[in-house]
Formats: sequence, C-alpha cells, structure tokens
Amino acid sequence: MTSITDAPASAAVGIRPPSPKRRSGRRTRHSALLLLLLGPAAVLIAAFIVAPAVYSVYLSFTNTQLTGFAARDPQFVGFDNFVYLLTNADFIASIGHTGEFVLYSAIIGQTVLGMVAALILSRPWIRGKGLYGAAILMPMVVPEVVASLTWASVLSSDSSGTLNQLTGLFGAASTDWLQVVPMASIIAVNIWRGIAFAMIMFQAALEDVPAELIEAARIDGASAVQVFRHVTLPLIRGPVFLYLLLTTISTVGAFGLVYLLTQGGPGGQTRIAAIYIYERALQFSQIGIGSAASIILLAIVLILGFVYVRLAKVEV
Amino acid sequence: MKRNRGIAAFVVAVVAAGGLAACSADSSSSDGSVTISIMEFQQTRIDSIKKVLPGFEAAMKKQGKDIKVKLVADVLTDDQFKTKVTQQLIAGQAPDLIDMGDSLVPGFAGAGYLAPLDDYLDKWDGWDHYYPQFKEAMVRQDGHIYALVHDTGVQNLFYRKDVLTELGIDTSQPATWDDLIARLVEVKEKTGGTPIVIPAGTAWGGSTWTEGFQPILGGTDQDYYDLETGKWDLESSGFAAVFDLYSELYSNGLLPVQDLENPNPWEPTKYVKFPAGEIQVAAQGTSGWKFDWGPNGAAPIPDLTEKVDTWQYPALRSGDEPFGWSGLGSGFAIPEKSEHKDEAMLLAQYLSSGEPLAEQLVSSGAAAPRDDLADVKPYADEPKLLQAGEDLQSSVYVPTGDGAEQIAQAIAAATELIITGAADGKEAYAAFVKDATDLLGPTLVK
Amino acid sequence: MTADAIPVASQEPVAPVRRFRRRPLTPAEVMQRALGHTLIVLLALFCVVPFAWLVLSAVDANAGPNVQLPAFSFENFGRFFTNSGTPLLLLNSLIIGIAGTTLNLVLGLTGGYALARFAFRGRRTFMFSILLIRVVPAPATIVALYLIMVNLHLTNSLIGLILVEAVLQLPVTLWLLKGTISAVPIELEEAAWVDGNTRFQAIRRIVLPLVGPGLGAAAMLTFMGIWGDFLTPLVMLQSQELYPLSIGLFRAFSEHNQVDWGLLAASAIVYVLPPAVLYVFVRKHLLHSSLGGAVKG
Repeated sequence: MTSITDAPASAAVGIRPPSPKRRSGRRTRHSALLLLLLGPAAVLIAAFIVAPAVYSVYLSFTNTQLTGFAARDPQFVGFDNFVYLLTNADFIASIGHTGEFVLYSAIIGQTVLGMVAALILSRPWIRGKGLYGAAILMPMVVPEVVASLTWASVLSSDSSGTLNQLTGLFGAASTDWLQVVPMASIIAVNIWRGIAFAMIMFQAALEDVPAELIEAARIDGASAVQVFRHVTLPLIRGPVFLYLLLTTISTVGAFGLVYLLTQGGPGGQTRIAAIYIYERALQFSQIGIGSAASIILLAIVLILGFVYVRLAKVEV
Repeated sequence: MKRNRGIAAFVVAVVAAGGLAACSADSSSSDGSVTISIMEFQQTRIDSIKKVLPGFEAAMKKQGKDIKVKLVADVLTDDQFKTKVTQQLIAGQAPDLIDMGDSLVPGFAGAGYLAPLDDYLDKWDGWDHYYPQFKEAMVRQDGHIYALVHDTGVQNLFYRKDVLTELGIDTSQPATWDDLIARLVEVKEKTGGTPIVIPAGTAWGGSTWTEGFQPILGGTDQDYYDLETGKWDLESSGFAAVFDLYSELYSNGLLPVQDLENPNPWEPTKYVKFPAGEIQVAAQGTSGWKFDWGPNGAAPIPDLTEKVDTWQYPALRSGDEPFGWSGLGSGFAIPEKSEHKDEAMLLAQYLSSGEPLAEQLVSSGAAAPRDDLADVKPYADEPKLLQAGEDLQSSVYVPTGDGAEQIAQAIAAATELIITGAADGKEAYAAFVKDATDLLGPTLVK
Repeated sequence: MTADAIPVASQEPVAPVRRFRRRPLTPAEVMQRALGHTLIVLLALFCVVPFAWLVLSAVDANAGPNVQLPAFSFENFGRFFTNSGTPLLLLNSLIIGIAGTTLNLVLGLTGGYALARFAFRGRRTFMFSILLIRVVPAPATIVALYLIMVNLHLTNSLIGLILVEAVLQLPVTLWLLKGTISAVPIELEEAAWVDGNTRFQAIRRIVLPLVGPGLGAAAMLTFMGIWGDFLTPLVMLQSQELYPLSIGLFRAFSEHNQVDWGLLAASAIVYVLPPAVLYVFVRKHLLHSSLGGAVKG
C-alpha cells in the first residue's frame, strides 16, 4: 500500500502533483467511477458546446442562409465558402484586425501591465494592497454592456467627454477618439478590462516562487530585472503560458465590447473577425459563410495554441 | 454546514425557476378556447395593442368564437428583434402573429417562414378599402402577400420653419436639389452649423437605405429593382446621381458627419440638434409628428406644427418633379408554422380596422393604408396624419424583394466612405457595385 | 468536521517565512520603490477613472452621456425600482446566476476531479478541445444551440437557460478545478482510504476543504460570465417575466430610440452590485487560486 511521504503537507500543497501514472488501479471500477464523475460534464459539453460547433462545421460547407430565397434549399458547396473568404479582402482585413487586437491588447498590454501589477503588489513595502487590488479588479467585475457604456463616455467626441476633459487640461483640442484612433481605443479598453485577470493569474503563480531563491539571487548581485528574467520567469512559465492561451482564446472570440463601442467602424477599421462573423451570420443571414469564417478562425487559434505549447514546453 | 446551505440555495433556486417556467407555459385549450399570441417589440405599440385586445376577445365572443390573446410584449431594439424572431421562425417557435417592419418581410417570406395571406384577404371586406398602390406594394416577387401593412407614412424633408424664417431663408418648396443646397449653404454661412441630416453611413444601419438613400433614389429612378425577375439592376442610372448628391452635401460641409458616426446617430441629430434648431432640415417620415417630436415623443418640440413643416424631396435630375416617398411602416405577419393561422388572421384584421387601427396610428404617428378611417377618432383629430394620408396617394414607392438587406448593407458601407471623406460619389458608387455584387450573389443581380 | 482528525489537511498553506534584514535602503531601492508606487497608482487610476461617468450620472437628475457635475438626486434609482418589472429582472438574474453557478461548480468539481486523478486516453485532447472550441464566436453557434434547445423542450424556461449557461462556462471551471485538485497531493487521499474512508468520503473530507480558493475563483468567473451574458437569454427566452437584467438594461435604449442616461447609469450600478459583492467574498481566494496548477512547467 502507499504511504504518506515525509514531506510536510503544508509544503506539498504548493508543489506539483505526483505523476498520475503512479497509481494502483482496478481498471473496471476506475472507468465506472470516471464515467460517473466526468460523464455528466462531458455529455453536457458535447450537447451544448461541441454539437453546435460541429453543426457550424457542417454549415460551413453549405450555402445555408437564414432568410431570403436561398434559405429554402441549402446546397452542399464544398470549399466554396472557404475559397470565397480567403480571397475576400474584408475577411482578410478582419483577421488582420483581430491579430492586431489580440497582440496589442491581450498578449502585450494585459500581460505586461498584469505582470507589473502582480510584481508590485507582491512587494512587502507596498501599503494598501487591498485598495489597489480592488481598483484594478473593478473593470473585470462589471459586465460588458456597462464597460462599453463607461468607455463611450470616456472616449466621447464631446468636449465634456472624460478623456477630452483630461487632455483639455493640457490645452489639447477635443478629439473624437473612436473616429480618429479607433483601433487604439478598443485596444486600450480591452487592456483595461483584462489587467485584472492577468494580475490574478500571475499573483497566484508568484506566490509559489520561493522567496529564498530571489533573496539569494539578489545577494549574488543580480539586478531586479535580471532576477525576474532568470529566476522568477522560468518558475512561472506554466501559469504564464496558460494565461496567454486563455486570453488569446477569449480575445479572438471577443465580440460584445467592440461591437457595442464601434460596431466595427468607422469604415471597417475595427471590424475584427468576430464582428465580421456576426455581420455575416446574423445581420446578412449568411450563416454558411459565417460558419466557415469561424472554422478558419478556429484553425488559426489551433495553430497558435500548438506554438504556445511548444514554446512554453508545458504539459497538461 | 456551508455545503448544506449551498445545496439548499440551489434547491430553492431550481424550485423557483420551475415555478416560473410553469407559469409561463402555454395555457392550451382545455375548455375549447384557442389561445393565440401576438408579438410587439416597441413600447408605444405594446401600450396601444394592450388597450384594444379586450375588444377583440369580446368581439369574437359575440361571433361565438372563444379566442384568447396572449401579448408577447418584448421591448427590444430593431437588431435584437430581428435576431430573435429569425431564430424563432426557423425553429417554428414564433408567436402566431408578429408585428414587424416591412423591410424584414421579403427575407422571411423568401425563406418560406411566413404564410401567404392572399386567400384571407380576398375574403375580407376590409381589403377593398386599402389604397390600390399599397395593395400592389405588399405583393412580393412570388406574387403573394405575406404581411398586412397597418401603418404607413410619407417620407419627406421636415424643416424648421421658425429658424429658417428668422435667418431670412426662403421656406417655399425647393424645386431642385441645387436650389435646396444653395439655401443650405446660406444657412451654413450664417450659423456655422451643419443644416441637414439624411441617414447615411453604417451606424444608422438599415435605415440608411430605407429612410436615407432609397427615397431619393426612388424619386429619380424606379428601375433599380425588377419585381418580375426579382433582380437588382446595380447599373441603374439613379445610383450614381444619388451618390453624387451625398458627396456634394458632404463636400459642402452640410452633413453632421461626426454625429453620423455616433453609435445612435439619430440621437445627436434628430433628438438634440433638430429640436434645438441647430439642424434645420431632416429626412423624416410621418411619425415625426408623434413618435419623434410629438408631445409624448422622444424629443418633444413645443408648438410643433407651428415651428416645423415639410417639403417634398426636390427633383434630383432634370425632368424630375418634387415628390414624397411612401413608407410601408410595419405589418402583421403569420408564421407558416403557426397552428392558429385562422384565428391570428382574425386578430390581424381586427387590429387593421376602425377604432383599433385609429388608436395605433395615433400613438405611433402613422397614416392609414385604407380609405375609410378619416372619420374614425382619434385618428380623425390629427390633421397632420390625415394630410399624410392624402399625400400618400401621390407619393412614390418602389417595391423591392429578396436582397434588400444586402443592398442596405452595401449602401450603408458606401455612404460611410463618403461621410468619412474616404471617397467621392463616383468612388463610393464603384465600391457599392462591388460590395453589392458580392453580397447578392449572381442570382439576384441583373 | 471529522476531516479535522487529519491535521495536515486543514492547515493553510503557509508561505515560507520571509525575513528581511533591516538595513538602510540603497538609492537604487529608493528609486525602485518610488517607481513602484507611481506605477501602481497610475494603473489604479486607469482602472477607476472610466467609472466616473457611471457614478456621477446615476445620482444626477439631468444625466447626459458625458461627465458633468450632478444635480444630486436618487430619483434614477427610484425609477429603476418602481419601473414595472425591473425588480423581477433582478430576481431572474439572481436565480439564473446563482443556480447556474452552483450547477457549474458541481459539474466542475466532479469533472475536474476526474481529470486530475485519472489518466485516460484522450484526456489532453479533451481539455484542449473544450478550451479551443470557445474561439467560435457565439453568433455562429447560436442557431444550432437554439435548435437543440427547442428539441429538448427547454426554450423559454429558466431551467433550460440555467443549464446552458452553466455548461457554457464549464470549460474554464474544469481547467481551474483540475489544476487546484492536482495540487492536492494524492497521498493525503490515499491515507484517508487506508483509514477506511470510501473514495467519495475521501474527496469530501480531504479534497473539498483544500480546493476552496479554486472554487472561489471558479464561482466568481462563472457568475460573471452568466451575469453578463446577453445573446443567450435573448434568444432562449420569450416571456418578459423570465428576462434577466442584462436584457432589461437595453430597455433604457429602446424606448423611442432615445437613451435615458440617468436610468441607464442607475441600472448599471445595480447591475454591477452582485458581482462586486461576490468579489468581496472571494477576493482572498482569487489570489490563491492556482489556475496555473493545471499545467506543469
């Protein structure tokens, strides 16, 4: 039989779990138990998440429409939708916009600022951690609709818009931010909303980094940046990777915030792929093309996901 | 302890949910009565329908029919309504009678979601009272009628008589757009503002086409859609002229371009600057007298009828005459999969006649599509609506069909190019042709 | 609880003792601290300032779309609560949010345990698939989802909506709880088995008390996801008396196409409160939840 290892449990909690293979198994009982535990979740996910997605795959090979005469008799059209999309300048541009949006807001903005917040708040000499933490978490807690409302007032073209009032203090003229710098605006809004999630993930990870290691490196004369680069970062690689994966996935699929603020405009400058899909699928009722666009998006993220896994050298 | 409380909370929640779900379940006919449902998505319409429903149930009782009506009062924006109703129609879950904007009808009818109403209408004595041009306009390209239009209006140019008079600007009907533009430039020189708003760009959505571009186009060119073949003629001569007009309005600085980029562009323009007199001319349907600027409207203008009046659209090209544009507001449609089509049609007919119709027309600010309402109160007390009703008979309308949504999208995108300064009229037209060809596909383009 | 008999299990994971010698700060350290304080203050301001309009307009009798000094009054909140149907919207949102979160956590705990403790073929694929599939934007899948719900006779009922919402948020919960449970040493459980506990007793007595942080974080994320969802209830529900607040919020927009800013701001504040309250409860947990535990570096 197994025995309790002599490591104190308090320390073991923070340590990685044992290899799942190291386990005595009466296989049949195990699979019954597995079915009982994971079965309900798996069945429901299959019904409500996987099945609709599979249906989208089917739709992507048809010219199905939701309204109009074309809706009566959908035909199988092979790869026509994909060919159409990949040669459609609007769609290609929307993928580009999504790439720009994800790169600057999620991968750079949220990650860097979230890491900065987590690092500063992990310093013992900072007072009012709770207050700062709460302030940074507020944007994450509010629902999308409310977030977009508040930012609509911040970025308002009116001279009484919050940002215009701020820049006005420095004598700048009023700017219609969502018109003049639409992409930068929605990137800023998305960073604002996502700092907290990054911060939480990184704070949890930083807690697992032994303070002695850092202290030792500092005594050896390493600068703060060097310590972060060579000691801290390698130790929190797993959580950072997982965060990047999660934020990439949710940012690629993000729709509401941008739609509510700009509806993809002006002139399609913020028409990210999710908005392109919404327009096709629901506004123009071309659900076949909309589905094909989703599948292309999924394929791109799949590739990105593999790249992340490779780069981070992690295992689930 | 904590876990038990959690489970208790869950049980309570589920029980409560079950209770609510049960409350909402269809009360089907255990006593031989039929329950039908009608869907409305605007508060003003919900209110006016609520008032007249008891009358319908009583009238049916008199005829020995036990029909109960459930009002699905779903306050939604136009976009939300479309998304939702589309799903319900596909799944066969839609209410038995749906009050929808006429622009949605071709798409739904084309897909086979709606039941043809011709047989019902032929047998209905009320049908004889409908103005012939509306009877014609309701027919879709397959020769059937799918929605019984119950409110209509005339799209015109509303103008601030008081402000223009004060500025010393001629307020007589302008004969041509050149004439009008000259006056608008004069206004601009005096006020420094942007004197005219016409729906344009993507933020205004489908209305850029239905309330902005199409009325102007229809006045100069009626060949852009062929009901016989169901095809759009993108080369039709009017398009270029209307794009040039938009471009000219833009380059003269007459359009409030920044407000047109607002996510709700009607707000700063129609609901703030027009009431304030800072925008003096607005393309607007009859509902302006009630729904928009009436005493109970969105942005009331005091003494409305003294301060505001209407012009017809001026002539755009030589040979044109000034004209008004008929708007088919909204109509009642019955889903093909409804199990109570007969009863739903009875309700549609009741709501489209006499006092119940008068009630709705006055609350939303619309003109009657039929000739026997002029003496019915409260509609009879509304001179502006009655006037619109008369103007309707001489106004222009071009019925369109499948593909209207795609055209609307392409027009919105192309006018967006103009108001952002990215293209002139010619370039915008080229972009429109490319876009529309792409969206419509080969079967819908001539 | 009897689990307390195993002393190691109930202890809080104690961070290694940190000792900092008191010594004068070097100029570099002073710089560093000043920089740190400046940065965190700027970050906090960036996060909080956008809310100025919301707070000011909610208590402003003449609220507009932009920041202005309020004509102070609570009239907007009064109107929110006296509007027919609004308290019901709030109640529905709470029912959907609480029941959906609870169901989600139950499914997530059992599923997460299975994923953490069993090595089976396709586990990796399963975990990555459920996460990646969320890339497909909701507008592309809502048609199919609605058809499925119609066939299950679950449309226009809170139960159906609760089920869907709980499942839509399940992938992240599974990842979170799988990570948290993996971090609980299997040896603790095995010891409990030796002591004569069944597998389920061991889970209840050993694992559950230790995964509080993960549960708290999962509850927060799930609740916020359900609370903020708009498209699913819009399509799934038909009766107004079942609507949640997320749809009701748009009512301030749809009347006359004219926005009632004060009412909107007040509704938004009420709308934000439940997640904010929940946040206060799970704040500590959030920081200790080890989502990163799901992956091994």
